[in-house]
Amino acid sequence: MSNKEIDEMLKSVPQEMDPSLLANIEKSMLATLAPVRPLPPPWIQTASLIALVGMISVIGAAILGFEGVRRLGIERIGLIFPTLVLFTILAAALSVAEMVPGSFRIAEPRAVLAALVLAIIVLFASLFHADDTPRFVPKGIACLVVGLLVAIPTALASWLVLRRGFAVNAASAGLAAGTLAGLAGVITLELHCPNFGAMHVTIWHTAVIPVAAYAGAAVGHFFRHK
Amino acid sequence: MHSDADLITLMARYQDGDPSAATALVGQLSPTLHRFFMMQHLSRRHADDLLQETWLRIHEIRNTYRPGEPVLPWLYAIARHIRVDHYRKVVRIEMREQQVEQFPEASPSRQERAVVDLDALLSSLPESQREVIVMLKVSGMSLDEIARATSSSVGSVKQKAHRAYAQLRDQLTRMGFGKARAGGHS
Repeated sequence: MSNKEIDEMLKSVPQEMDPSLLANIEKSMLATLAPVRPLPPPWIQTASLIALVGMISVIGAAILGFEGVRRLGIERIGLIFPTLVLFTILAAALSVAEMVPGSFRIAEPRAVLAALVLAIIVLFASLFHADDTPRFVPKGIACLVVGLLVAIPTALASWLVLRRGFAVNAASAGLAAGTLAGLAGVITLELHCPNFGAMHVTIWHTAVIPVAAYAGAAVGHFFRHK
Repeated sequence: MHSDADLITLMARYQDGDPSAATALVGQLSPTLHRFFMMQHLSRRHADDLLQETWLRIHEIRNTYRPGEPVLPWLYAIARHIRVDHYRKVVRIEMREQQVEQFPEASPSRQERAVVDLDALLSSLPESQREVIVMLKVSGMSLDEIARATSSSVGSVKQKAHRAYAQLRDQLTRMGFGKARAGGHS
């Protein structure tokens, strides 16, 4: 049996439609039919999200102080911030795509998260070599909390940009938005944190992204079932 | 089969609040959407419910369609979402109950079907493959459109379609269809 014959068989399925069903659907749709404003083009939403991440992370660092970036050095600044900006653009585009059914998807959010976290770990591990200071865990948790405190308003502001969309996979959309919010937290930490211990930066600063991403996924999952 | 350009125009008019565009969209797209649900191993009653629910959701979130974009991936992504939700809520429970109480007998609509019971044939495929085959051949979507609707890559869609065809061909040959047609394989 050829593929063509299978195709013909599949296309020959009778169209059994109940006319009253169609009439009911039309009736309920027409009852509330009014003009709607379509979503803005994806680049506008993406640019808005990038601007939000930039603004909130800089405000966060302004409140906490720019000690980190002052001591980073030109080489580290030139490698860390362009990388974080690039990842922010990617996460913003992904968040926008997740909120429009059937839109072109650059990649699976989970795969992007994994690649992004791995790349940041490699980057930080190659740029920071200082020995870790005492009180590794308390200092690390403090940075993690700061990062998440920046991620929360970023996530809320992102929701304002994306709220008119519709996520067919709420957990995945939450994961993408959480990744974006986590990046804002990491940018703030790189601007603020003067602790250049290799393990501190690699573990605790990077951890903001997966923690924020999975918190976003959990929120998405929760609202899906509400 | 409806052209992309027609659907894009109709969607734009529907977003503008044109009742004739809404009616035309429902009339043109419902039969294939209904078949999409029917061929997902759902009863007629569930397919009717899901069709209605899909249109209501489409109506609710019609602003999320971006003018100029292909309509079918948007529409089927929503239909898929509704089906998955529905499956989680209702069908799983009902299927369990059916399995415990009795084995389902062939429904009248099955008996009415043509030479091959397509429903039974497709039900042997894994859900993801069945979905791709239905979108590809019954709804007439392109590989790229299916990839968008299912949030996957074109390569993955191609692979699923290929595997589904291989399985369908095997099954039809076993049922004697291939032999009856002078040698069978293309």
